[in-house]
Amino acid sequence: MNAKDWKILLVDDEREFITTLAERLDLRGIPSRVAFDGESALEAIAAEEPYVVVLDVLMPGIKGLEVLERVKRTNPLVQVLLLTGHGSTRDGIEGMRLGAYDYMMKPLNIDTLIEKMESATDYAMKAAAQSGKNEGQ
Amino acid sequence: MRDALFMGRMTASATHELQNILATIRESSGLMEDLLAMSSEGFAHAERFKKGLTVLAEQVERGMILTEQLNYCAHAPEGCSAGADVNESVRALVGLWRRNAARRKTTLVLAPGRTGLRTGLRAVEVMDAVAAALEAAIETLPMGTQLMVSVEEQGGLGVVRLDSPGYEALRCAPAWAELAALAKTLGIGLSGGPGGQGVVLALPKPVA
Repeated sequence: MNAKDWKILLVDDEREFITTLAERLDLRGIPSRVAFDGESALEAIAAEEPYVVVLDVLMPGIKGLEVLERVKRTNPLVQVLLLTGHGSTRDGIEGMRLGAYDYMMKPLNIDTLIEKMESATDYAMKAAAQSGKNEGQ
Repeated sequence: MRDALFMGRMTASATHELQNILATIRESSGLMEDLLAMSSEGFAHAERFKKGLTVLAEQVERGMILTEQLNYCAHAPEGCSAGADVNESVRALVGLWRRNAARRKTTLVLAPGRTGLRTGLRAVEVMDAVAAALEAAIETLPMGTQLMVSVEEQGGLGVVRLDSPGYEALRCAPAWAELAALAKTLGIGLSGGPGGQGVVLALPKPVA
């Protein structure tokens, strides 16, 4: 699986954090797009249908868990990796209940994040292929 | 109570911000590590840079642990129908109390605790009582001592044990009166540890 095809959306209102993360992924050959709030994340998801969304839980405006709920209603094949604060496992567990693929705590270990993104992308691609087959029948 | 909840909300909000700041520092230092790895040849100060970045990562990790404990503390005044998790409360308290103990050159050691034990007290009450016990123990112990704190189950109750100094010596400590009064208010049983060493705080059961 070529990392260039992963279609990743990174969402966090901490602009410096998320743009630096995007830059680090880019250095590893993984392109991504960024959104800085829930509203623009939902617009980007509707327009671009990424395979994986890396989504911060605590954002002003639409909160991460609400974005997750809406994504799972409108684009169920999109896989969501939640970012929570250190020690905020409650949000991560709640996110898993709402259909998140997995959750991670900040600060991130970039290698672990990439492993999870790869696994989530693989899952999303297979689910999309399966969905396409079902629609064709 | 209202002011404790207010301060807790303020502190919780600030700790989230601090975590974001630390995460941003970690990511930025990670980017510098990446760039350094790509172009360290010919860079005279590469080793010094690597060392500096390692220190940054370690300090971020230290800050994260501290903000996690502070965040727990901020939520500690909130009530929970299931009661407080004894091990989590003690872990956060000991983490935050280490600096106080260090002033008396005492090292706090938290034994691997029995997890899943709950008490009817709020987390802040557990922390307050254990802090009072630590205060009494630390003023009684000679400087340079190690003090072990453990969470155990005894007869279905969650107990917190400090393994030194001797129970009778503890009862003579100036801070004992405050601990005894607090224990009485909160329904905590106080007794000596095995062989009369240390003190055991038997916490009330969660409300069924």
